Amino acid sequence: MRSFIFSKRTLKEILRDPLSYIFCLGFPIVMLVIMTIVDQSIPEEAGMTIFHIDNLAPGIAFFGLSFIMLFTCLQVSKDRSTAFMLRLYASPLKSLDFIAGYTLPVLVLAVLQSVISFIAAIVIGAFVDYQFDLVNVILCILVLIPSALVFISFGIFFGTLLNDKAAPGICSIIITSASMLGGIWMDVDSIGGTFAKFCHALPFYQGVRGARFALTGEYGDMVKPVLITLGYGILVYLFAIFVLRRKMQQDVK
Amino acid sequence: MKYAIEVNKLRKEFGLKTAVKDISFQVQEKTLFSLLGVNGAGKTTTIRMLTGLSRPTSGDAFVLGHSITTDLNEVKKVSNVSTQDTAVAPNLTVRENLEFMAGIYNIDKKQIQERTNEMIQLFSLQEVENSKAKTLSGGWQRKLSIAMALITDPKVLYLDEPTLGLDVLARKDLWRIIEGLKKKVTIILTTHYMEEAEHLSDAIAVMVGGEIKALGTLEDLKKLTGKDNLEDAFVEIAEGGL
Repeated sequence: MRSFIFSKRTLKEILRDPLSYIFCLGFPIVMLVIMTIVDQSIPEEAGMTIFHIDNLAPGIAFFGLSFIMLFTCLQVSKDRSTAFMLRLYASPLKSLDFIAGYTLPVLVLAVLQSVISFIAAIVIGAFVDYQFDLVNVILCILVLIPSALVFISFGIFFGTLLNDKAAPGICSIIITSASMLGGIWMDVDSIGGTFAKFCHALPFYQGVRGARFALTGEYGDMVKPVLITLGYGILVYLFAIFVLRRKMQQDVK
Repeated sequence: MKYAIEVNKLRKEFGLKTAVKDISFQVQEKTLFSLLGVNGAGKTTTIRMLTGLSRPTSGDAFVLGHSITTDLNEVKKVSNVSTQDTAVAPNLTVRENLEFMAGIYNIDKKQIQERTNEMIQLFSLQEVENSKAKTLSGGWQRKLSIAMALITDPKVLYLDEPTLGLDVLARKDLWRIIEGLKKKVTIILTTHYMEEAEHLSDAIAVMVGGEIKALGTLEDLKKLTGKDNLEDAFVEIAEGGL
């Protein structure tokens, strides 16, 4: 119950910040439109499919999730820098209430954001003569949840360790790296070599790949990248909550 | 005579520095007890230990019979604190802040509404009840912060410099509210304003260098130092004149 009340507070705090809408919804949708226009300008003979709407939509949905990390990080770091958090430490809230209170609302936001990104993609798809399979869209949104967990975990981790001045800088580096290494803006496999191997080892590439397979209905190929991303998600999340709990214990020493 | 708080040889060390040195005192139920001292005297550290925000190095304290070292969860249920810095959720409205605070103390829904309305009335927050906390002036925020501590119906309320930085009118307004709480709640107050302590306290402790140098009623302290007001008595004690 206390977790739920704390979650509601976190959700309100994030939703009442206008920047949340600009970055979590506006920016990904604008990118979706721009990259579709770019795709229309690329001649068919170039054989470049990365910006086709069926490749782009899961990539952009994944890209949007990286902004969830930024807002999780800012919320945790802002809270930790205020006397409000001290007051909560003196209340009957337990560390699990804090962890759930930060995780649940942003997880809900992440799913909502993916849904809105796909609604925008379906509308754009109608203009470029591509029809999405609704079942695959729903599956793709579910498949993106482990990626959301990875980003939320990074958000909690950096929010615990950094202040709200340093947090946006570090998050920007991760957002840019995740989109490049995840293969949203370029075909990592066509580059090959050590770079591709490096990307394959990271959750970003696997998260995007799993979502793309889900959207195109390649269920067999989808399982491995999804499991890798989920494994990363669980590991990073456990590490993030370990760090948060440790820091909270240090705060009351 | 029942004690709401019994402090027994409480000590806090930060590395080589000892912030609180084996202090002992008792606070009677439903009285206002002021902790005075210059900056760094150990007042806030003492309050932090009593509220579970800091662990004592040694010693113990009992809040309504619950130990702060072994029964902290129960201590947290019966007490609340308004910290030195205003502690409100900035993007929540005044009403939502109050409801949130009541909610995390497991107060039932119907009672939350009643208590919220009661606090809005008591602290005259009607005109700002739907404003976001971050848009309020310092005085309003401070009132809200104290209302958030009081909405949980604490048996023991810690007010750490509640009127710091407030103008004269806002300060007097808060005094009026605090006075109204006396005889209902046990209040531990820290303040730098001698006039405030003189006006509100049933008992006063003066801390110097982490130790309690004097303890008693206002009259006791005046008698002890031979001074006719608290400010002079405090200076005498703080400067080691005793």
